[in-house]
Amino acid sequence: MFFHIVLERNMQLHPRHFGPHLRDKLVAKLMKDVEGTCSGRHGFVVAITGVDNIGKGLIRDGTGFVTFPVKYQCVVFRPFKGEILEAVVTMVNKMGFFAEAGPVQIFVSNHLIPDDMEFQAGDVPNYTTSDGSVKIQKESEVRLKIIGTRVDATEIFCIGTIKDDFLGVINDPGASS
Amino acid sequence: MPRRRDDDDDDVEEEELEEEEDDEEEDYLEDEDDGGGRGGRGGGGGGGGKKRRRSQFIDDVAEEDDEEDEEEDDVGRGSRHKQKRRSGSQYFDLEAVVDTDDDEEEEEGEDDFIVDGGADLPDEVDGRRMHRRPLLPREDEQEDVEALERSIQARYARSSHSEYDEETTDVEQQALLPSVRDPKLWMVKCAMGHEREVAVCLMQKYVDKVSELQIRSAIALDHLKGYVYIEADKEAHVKEACKGLRNIYSAKVTLVPIKEMTDVLSVEKKAIDISRDTWVRMKIGMYKGDLAKVVDVDDVRQKVMVKLVPRIDLQALANKLEGREVGKKKAFVPPPRFLNIEEVRELHIRVERRKDPNTGDYHENIAGMMFKDGFLLKNVSMKSIITTNIQPTFDELEKFRKPEDGDGDMASLSTLFTNRKKGHFMKGDAVIVVRGDLKNLMGWVEKVEEEIVHIRPNMKGLPRTLAVNEKDLCKYFKPGDHVKVVTGAQEGATGMVVKVDGHVLILVSDTTKEDIRVFADNVVESSEVTTGITRIGDYELHDLVLLDNMSFGVIIRVESEAFQVLKGVPDRPEVALVKLREIKSKIERKTNAQDRSRNVVSVKDVVRIMEGPCKGKQGPVEHIFRGVLFIIDRHHLEHAGYICAKAQSCVVVGGSRANGDRNGNSLSSRFSSLRASPFRVPPSPGRPPRGGPPSSGGRHRGGRGHDSLIGSDVKIRLGPYKGYRGRVVDINGQNVRVELQSQMKVVTVNRDQVSDNVQVSAPFRDTPRYGLGSETPMHPSRTPLHPIMTPMRDPGATPIHDGMRTPMRDRAWNPYVPMSPPRDNWEDGNPASWGTSPQYQQPGTPPARPYEAPTPGSGWANTPGGSYSEAGTPRESSGAYASAPSPYLPSTPGQPMTPSSTSYLPGTPGGQPMTPGGGGLDIMSPTIGGDSDGPWLMTDIWVNVRRPGEDSTVGIVRDVLPDGTCKISLESTGNGETITTVINEIEIVAPRKSDKIKIMSGPQRGATGKLIGIDGTDGIVKVDDTLDVKILDMDILAKLAQ
Repeated sequence: MFFHIVLERNMQLHPRHFGPHLRDKLVAKLMKDVEGTCSGRHGFVVAITGVDNIGKGLIRDGTGFVTFPVKYQCVVFRPFKGEILEAVVTMVNKMGFFAEAGPVQIFVSNHLIPDDMEFQAGDVPNYTTSDGSVKIQKESEVRLKIIGTRVDATEIFCIGTIKDDFLGVINDPGASS
Repeated sequence: MPRRRDDDDDDVEEEELEEEEDDEEEDYLEDEDDGGGRGGRGGGGGGGGKKRRRSQFIDDVAEEDDEEDEEEDDVGRGSRHKQKRRSGSQYFDLEAVVDTDDDEEEEEGEDDFIVDGGADLPDEVDGRRMHRRPLLPREDEQEDVEALERSIQARYARSSHSEYDEETTDVEQQALLPSVRDPKLWMVKCAMGHEREVAVCLMQKYVDKVSELQIRSAIALDHLKGYVYIEADKEAHVKEACKGLRNIYSAKVTLVPIKEMTDVLSVEKKAIDISRDTWVRMKIGMYKGDLAKVVDVDDVRQKVMVKLVPRIDLQALANKLEGREVGKKKAFVPPPRFLNIEEVRELHIRVERRKDPNTGDYHENIAGMMFKDGFLLKNVSMKSIITTNIQPTFDELEKFRKPEDGDGDMASLSTLFTNRKKGHFMKGDAVIVVRGDLKNLMGWVEKVEEEIVHIRPNMKGLPRTLAVNEKDLCKYFKPGDHVKVVTGAQEGATGMVVKVDGHVLILVSDTTKEDIRVFADNVVESSEVTTGITRIGDYELHDLVLLDNMSFGVIIRVESEAFQVLKGVPDRPEVALVKLREIKSKIERKTNAQDRSRNVVSVKDVVRIMEGPCKGKQGPVEHIFRGVLFIIDRHHLEHAGYICAKAQSCVVVGGSRANGDRNGNSLSSRFSSLRASPFRVPPSPGRPPRGGPPSSGGRHRGGRGHDSLIGSDVKIRLGPYKGYRGRVVDINGQNVRVELQSQMKVVTVNRDQVSDNVQVSAPFRDTPRYGLGSETPMHPSRTPLHPIMTPMRDPGATPIHDGMRTPMRDRAWNPYVPMSPPRDNWEDGNPASWGTSPQYQQPGTPPARPYEAPTPGSGWANTPGGSYSEAGTPRESSGAYASAPSPYLPSTPGQPMTPSSTSYLPGTPGGQPMTPGGGGLDIMSPTIGGDSDGPWLMTDIWVNVRRPGEDSTVGIVRDVLPDGTCKISLESTGNGETITTVINEIEIVAPRKSDKIKIMSGPQRGATGKLIGIDGTDGIVKVDDTLDVKILDMDILAKLAQ
C-alpha cells in the first residue's frame, strides 16, 4: 500500500556545499540518500514530494560537517499481510516463482499455487494448468495476495499466494507474443 | 515335583510385579495358593530338587510354547491355572532378556538356570520370599487346599489391595515407608562378583534351616559390587546368617539409615506407556533401529505387535522355501521396502490370506510372517523395543503414511509429543487441541503448569481459560508466519510458513528459498532472520577459504559439522562438502583482477558475466582470488546466490569504463588498459600475464621485447654456463649475448636457457646506470601510474579522480604505453626498468617545468582533496560511483585543466610532478605486486594443469614463455610429453613438509630451499643458498622439481 507521509532525517552536508545553493544541495542529497531505501516501519521510500522544513544546521566538531534536520514529505510503499498486489513474474523455478511489485520481491511457493498448475521445466520454465489455458512464466503479470512479509534492513520480502479466488495471471505478454 | 518349585518362584516374581498389574491380583493369589502347597513339598525335597528345577526353568523360559503344551496335557489343572502359568512364565521371559549379559552365566556353565531364574530372583525378590517362607511349612501340613486359599487370601488381602493399588494416595504411600519399628537393612561386604551367589546361598540356607535364620531377606543389587543387603531386626541375626558362608564377610556390617532404605530398593521407573499408534524403535535383530508403529499391545504377555517396513530378501526366502542354497548367512541386511504380493507370487512363494481372529482383519501370511498392505506385522516383546525418545524423521514417517491412514496423521504424530522438551509451550503461543473432546479447538497459551497448559480458546461461549494436558496440544501456525526452527535437523533455520499440513509445516527458508518441512512442534514464531549456524571455528558463511588441495572457494552453507563450499572453478558450479579440518585458511587478501576489457575489478564492483553458463548474470563481486570472481546475484538461487566466474568473462558495470565513455573520449579504454597494465603486461618473460590474452601481451612485447631483455640481469639456467649471471647485451633471434658478471667475457646462450628473474633483492639504486638516458621516455609512462593506482585503492573516490585526470594523462602516455611494464619490472629487479627510475633525478630532463606548471600541480592537489571529502561520507560517494555518475562533472575541479595537457607532451615527460624519485614507486610497487593475482610462475616447479574438459594433471614447468604461456612436461603421461599452456590453467602444487621448494615471490624469489615446517598459512623454509630459516607465506612456495 502507498502512503504519503512526513518523515524527518538528519542530513550531513560537507562544508564545500555551503553557499547560495545550499538548500538545493541538501534536497538533492536527501533524494539521493532516501529514495529507494527501505525501512521496516515505513517500507520503501518511493519518492520525495516536498521538503517541509529544514532546521538549523549544527556544525559537528572535528569534521566541519553540518547536520540539518530535514522534514520532508514522501510517498512510501509498504506491503501488508493480506494485501492484494499485482506483480510481474521475474523468475520461475520448481519451488515456485518470484514476482516483483515495484521494489518488493514476492515469492509464491508451489504450495501456494493452485494444485492444477504444474511446473514445466525447460527453456522457459513455467507453471501451466493441465489444459494449458493458463501459464505463469517470466514476465507474466499476476495478481496475488501477500500472506507474509519479512522485513530486512534493506529489503522487504514477501510470501504470496495465488491459491484463492480471483488471483492468478492477469496478463501474459509472453503468451500473446 | 520339581515343577512346583518354580511355580513358587513364579509367584514370588508376580508379587513383585503386582505393582504394575493389579488386574491380575486374583490370579496371583490363587497361584500363590498352589505354589504355596507345592513349594512346601518341594521344600521338603531340599536341595536335591535344585538341579532338576533349573532345567525345568530352561523349559519355561526358552520354550514358552512347549511349556504351554505341557500344561495343556496336564489335565489335572484347570484352564484358569493354565492362564496363571502363562502369566508367570512371562515374567521369566522378562528376566531372561534383561539378564542375558550376566557374568554368572559363565560360572554356571552349561546350566543357565541360575541366570534365568534362581540367581536373578533373589536380588530384588528374596526379601519377600524369605519372610513369607515361614508360612509355607505350616500350609504344607494343611490338607485342605480350599482352606489354604482362604487363609492366604486373608493374609494378603490387605497388602495386595492397599499396598499395590495404583489408586493409592500419597499419604498412603508415605505410610508404607519404613519406620523405626520395621526390620532394618544391613549392608554386608561380600566377594566381588559373588553378590548373587551370596544371596542365593542365604536363600538356600534359609530353606534348609528355616527356624534358625532370623533374617528377613537378602538383596543383591546388580549395580552394587561387593555388597549385599540383608534385612533383619538385629545385627546379630545378620551375623548369624552369614556364619559359615563363603564369600561373605560379616565382620563389617553397616546399618542402612532408614531414610535411605527406600533408595536401596527403588527401581528405576519404567514408564512403559505403549499404546496403539505409538512410534517405537526396534532394539535388536535385523530390524534394529528401524522405526515401527505399534498396532496392538498385549499387556498380559508383554508383547506388542508392531508394523514395520519389511526387510526381506524375497529371492533368498524363495530359495529357502524351496530348499536350495540354504545356510549361507547373509552378510548384509536387506534394505527396507514394502512387500509386493505380486512379486512374492512370481517367486512361487505360497501366500496365505488369513483372517486375524482378534481383529478380524485380513492379512497375508508368507513363510510364517504376517504382512498387511506391504508392512510386516511382527509380534515382539516389549523389552525388544525402545519406546522413549523416538524422533522419527520425515522420511520414516512418510513411509508409514498410507492413504488409509487418512487423518491418522495427526493422531500418530501426536504420539511424538511425549518426547518433547520441557517448557515447550510459552505464553502467547497459538495452539490447537489435537486430542479429546476439544479437538481442533484453537487458542492461545495463557499459563503453563507442569503438564497442564491453560489456554484461552478463540471460541466464544467457552470459559475464559481451559486447562488442557500438554500432550493434547500442538502449536499452531498460519501460512505467512515467520518462524524459527528450534529443534531437529533444520535447527536454527528461519523461514516463512507457506503451508500447514497437519503437524507438518512447510517453510520457505529465508536464505536458500528452499522448502523445509518441519514439525510444528519444532518451531517457534520469530522475526529473526538467520541461516542457522553461520560459523564453525574461524570460518564463517560467505568466507573465501583455501582448501587442502590448494583449491579455494566460498562457504555457501554451514552445516552442523561441515561447510558447503562453492569451489573457484569458473566453468561449472562445483560444490564440495568440506570438513573444518580440510580448510587450510581463510583468504582475506584484497586482490584485484581485470575484466574482459581489462578494467580493474575489485571487491564490491558490480560486474556482468558475459560468457559461460551464468552469462547475463550481474552482481557485486564479493571475493577475488587468482583471477576468479565470486559474484553475488540476488536472483541466483543456487549456492546462496554466489556465482563463480573468471574475471575475464566479466565486465564491470558502471565502473571506470562507463565513466570514460561519459567523458566523451575514447581514451578511456586505452587508459584502462594502461591502468591495468601493471597486472597484465609481463614485466619479463618470467612473469607473463596471468590474465590477458597472450596475443595482446605479445604485441607489447613485440615492439619492445628486445629492449626489455637487453640490459636485464639474467641467470643462465642450462648449458656450460649454468648458474652464471650476467647482463644481456644483445639479442639475436633465439640467442642472447650475456656479459657475465664473474668473468670478463660475453657469451652467447640460447634464449631459453636464461632466466631473467634475478633476485629482487638486488638493491634498487645499484642499477640505474644501465639504462641511463636511453630509456628516458619510459619514465613518464610510469609515473602516471601512480595517481591511477589511487582510484583502484579507493573505488569511492575513483570517478572524480579519473574524470579529471584521464585526458591529460592519456595524452602523455600513449607513446609509451608499451613501456609501462618496466614500471612493474622494477619489482622483479629487471634492470631495464631500474634504469628508468633514476630519470627522476636526471638533471638533463626538465623537471622544473612541470613542477612550476600550476595546472598539474593543482590538479593533483585537488584530486585527493575531492576524494577525501567524498571519503568523509563513504555512503554517498559509493552511491555516486555506482549509479549516479553525474556528480563527477560538477564536482570535478580538475576538469578545466584538460588543456594543460600540452605540458605533458612527450617531449617533457620527465617532469611528472608527482614522483620525486623512487620513493613513490617504493610505495606503489609492492601494492601492485602484491595485488596481482598470486605468485608468478617460475621454472622447475610442480604444477597442476587443469584444462577445461580434462582432469588435472601434474607437470613440471620447464619454461615460461614471454607470451604468457609456459611449457610443461607432464609427468602423468610418461616423461616425454610437453605441453604449452596458459597460466590460468595452472595451479601451483602446494609443497608438503620437507619438500624442496622454490620461492615464488618476494625478495627471495627464485631461491630454492626446503620446507621444514608448516604453520597455518606460513611455511618455515630453509633457504638453500644462505641456509637461513625464513617464514614465508605458503602461497608463494612451490614444490620444486628435482
